[in-house]
Amino acid sequence: MSNSVISVISRFLDEYVSSTQNKLKVVDAYLFYIMMTGALQFLYCLLVGTFPFNSFLSGFISCVGSFILAVCLRIQINPQNKGEFLSISPERAFADFLFAHTVLHLVVINFIG
Amino acid sequence: GYFGLLILSLVLGTQTLTPTHHLTASDVARLQAALSQPFTDLESVYYSVVGLSKLGIFVADADETCKFIKSNLDASSVESLFYAAEASQVLSGCEIPVLNETRDLLLAAVSEDSTASQIHQSVSALSSLGLPLASQEVVSALKARISKEDNVLAIILALQTASRLSQQAELGDILEEIEDLAARLDDLGGVYLQFEEGVEATALFVSSAYALSDHVDMEPPLKEDQVIQLVNSIFSKKSWDSLSEAFSVASAAAALSNNRFQVPVIVSARGPAAVSHSQPLLQLHVTDVLCQPLTSATVLVESATAVSSKSAILSQAPFSLKDGVFELNFMGSKPASGYYQFSVAVTGDSRFVANHVELKVKVSTRVAINNMDLSVVDKDQSIGPKTSRVEYPSKAKASFMADSHQNFAMTFQLIDETTGVELTPHQTFVRLHNQKTGQEVVFVAEPDSKNVYKFELDTAVTKTEFDSISGTYALYLMVGDATLENPILWHVADVVLKFLEEEAPSTIQTKNVYTPKPEIQHLFREPEKKPPTVVSNAFTALVLSPFLLLLILWFKLGANISNFTLSPSTILFHIGHAAILGLMYVYWTHLNMFQTLKYLAIIGSLTFLAGNRMLAQKAVKRIAAEQSSRLAKYRSLR
Repeated sequence: MSNSVISVISRFLDEYVSSTQNKLKVVDAYLFYIMMTGALQFLYCLLVGTFPFNSFLSGFISCVGSFILAVCLRIQINPQNKGEFLSISPERAFADFLFAHTVLHLVVINFIG
Repeated sequence: GYFGLLILSLVLGTQTLTPTHHLTASDVARLQAALSQPFTDLESVYYSVVGLSKLGIFVADADETCKFIKSNLDASSVESLFYAAEASQVLSGCEIPVLNETRDLLLAAVSEDSTASQIHQSVSALSSLGLPLASQEVVSALKARISKEDNVLAIILALQTASRLSQQAELGDILEEIEDLAARLDDLGGVYLQFEEGVEATALFVSSAYALSDHVDMEPPLKEDQVIQLVNSIFSKKSWDSLSEAFSVASAAAALSNNRFQVPVIVSARGPAAVSHSQPLLQLHVTDVLCQPLTSATVLVESATAVSSKSAILSQAPFSLKDGVFELNFMGSKPASGYYQFSVAVTGDSRFVANHVELKVKVSTRVAINNMDLSVVDKDQSIGPKTSRVEYPSKAKASFMADSHQNFAMTFQLIDETTGVELTPHQTFVRLHNQKTGQEVVFVAEPDSKNVYKFELDTAVTKTEFDSISGTYALYLMVGDATLENPILWHVADVVLKFLEEEAPSTIQTKNVYTPKPEIQHLFREPEKKPPTVVSNAFTALVLSPFLLLLILWFKLGANISNFTLSPSTILFHIGHAAILGLMYVYWTHLNMFQTLKYLAIIGSLTFLAGNRMLAQKAVKRIAAEQSSRLAKYRSLR
C-alpha cells in the first residue's frame, strides 16, 4: 500500500519537474510561500493564543485570499487551459490578479487594526 | 301639598354652587382703605371718590376735593373732563363750569373714529354734566367700534356707555353683547369664571352687565352657577395691585349686592360651627357680597341630620335675627354629641342666588368617667379580686402589683356629663410610664357590648412590649375626641410589674444611616494577557522567513528580470504599484478608509493606465514571438 503511494508521489514529482513550464513553477513557488506563511500564522495562534483576534484573522485571510488568487492566475496562464480561457490573455489574467490583490489588501489593512 | 312638592323638587333639582370666596368685614375695610389713598391726580380722585360712593361711603372733605378737581381740570382733554364730571357728580354741591367749547369737544368725540374708551368717557361726561346727547348716534358709533375693536375691554366700555343712554334708544344689539362676552369667560375647575385679562376685566364686566340690565329692565343672561363662579373669581383676590383694580372690585361688589335680578347670598358661621352646653346657639352671618346682613331675609333650617346615624333632628326650624346675626338654639333640641349636616335656606327675595347652603355643625359635650374600678385578679381565680374604686381626678392611694400569678384589671365607663348617655370616644388609651427608664407603653382600652371599658394587664403576654423590665409604672388614662370639650389625661394609679426573666435594658440602637459607606473602587478594564515580547518577535521572524525561501526557490528556478524594458509605461507602472503598496502601509498607520480610497483612486487609475499599456506591449511581443517561432517551426518542417 505505502509502496504504491511512494511510487505515485515520486512519479508525480518527476513529471512535475519535467513537463511544467518555468513560469508555472514560479507561480507554484509563490503558492508554496503563501501556504507556509499561513501555516506559521496558524501555528502561532494555536500556541500563544488568539489575542489580538482581528489581526490574526486579517493575516490569515490575506494568506488564504492570496493563495486563491494565485491559483486562479496559474489556471488562467496555463497554456494547456487555453481552450477554456479564449478571451483572457495571460496579461489580462495578471492584471486581474493585481486588481483583486489591491482590493484584498485594502480590506486586510482595514481589518488588521 | 302641591306647593310643598314644588319646593321639594326645586331643592332637590338645584345642585347649586355656593361661593367659596367672599369678602369678609376686614376685606371690605381693606378695600375702603385702598380707595382712600391721598389724591395724586384727577384719575385717582375719580377712582377714590366714585369707588367709595359705591361702597356707600362719602368723602369727608367734599370741598377740598372739589377744589382739587377744579384746579386739575384740563378742559381740552376728554379724559380729564370724564374724571372731573363723574367725581363731581358724587360730591354734593360740586359743579364743574361748562363752556360751549367743552360741550362741542365732548360731542365731537362721539363718532366712529374715536376709540370705545373715548366714546365712553365723553358720553359719561355729557350725562354727568347734564348735557344733551343723541343716543342713537352713540349707539351706531358703539356698534361700529365693537366690530372694529373686538377685545373684551372695549365691549365692556360699550356696555357701560349704553347704560347712560336714553331708554328709548335701540340698545338690543349691545345688550346681546353681554351673552357673547359671558361665553368668552374661562371656566377654571368649575369654581372660577374669569377673563384671561384678569380680575379687573371680570369685575368691570359684572358691574357693566348689571348696570345695563337694570337700565333696560331685562334679566342678564347669566346662570346662577355662573354668577357664583364670577363671585369666586372677583373676590378671591384680597389685596389689589392698583387703584383701578380696587375700583373695579368695589363696582362689582356694589352691582352684585344691589341690582334688580340676582343677589348672591353669603352664609357663613360666626366662629366655628359648633354648639355645646356652654354655647348652645348656632350663629350665622347671612350677608350680601359687601358683607351687609340681609335683615329682610328668612333663614330656615330645612333639615338637620346626624352624620353617623342619618336620623333627622330638625325640620323647617327658623333662625331668629339678633343684632344682624341669625341664631338658632340647637342645643334646645337635645342632640347627642357628634356631627350634623344642616341644610339651610335663605328666602324672602326672589333675587337671591345660592341661597341653599349645606353646613356641617359639630355638637360637643363634656365627658365624665364613671365607676373606675381597679383590681388585681389572680390568674388561677383562687382568690377573689380586690377592687378599689378611684374618683377622677384623684390617684389610687395604694399601688397595684402584677406578676406571674396575678393580673391587673381596670374597668370604667365614659358618659356624657349632662345627659348621662354612654360615650365611645375615638381615643381611649392606657399609658404605662416607667419613671426610671423613661420607657412608655400604650394600650387601647376597648368597650364591651354594654359600653363598659375594660383593660387587663397580663405580664406573661405583654412581656415583649415591656422588654421584660420590671419596676414601678405610672398608669395614665387618656381620653380624647373631636367632639369632647374636655380631653382627659389622668394619672390613675401606680402599678408594679414583675417579669420573670429580666433582660438587660437594651439601649436602642439608632441605626445610623448617615455614616459614609465604603468607597467603591472603580475597576478599569484589565488589558488582555499579552504574550511576552520575545515570543511574538520570534514568531514575526518565523513568519517572514518563507519569503527568503521564496527568493531562493525563484533563484533556483531561474526567474529573472531580464525582460525588463525601460519604457515609460513600465517605469510608471512599477512606481504606481510601489505607491499602492506604500499607501497600504500609510493606511495602516495614519489614514482612514475614505482618505485611502481617495488616494487609491488617483494612484490606481495611473497605475492601471500604465500597466495596461505595459501589458499590451508585452502581449504584442509575446504574440510576435509565438508567431515567429511558429513560422520557424513551419519552415523547418518544410
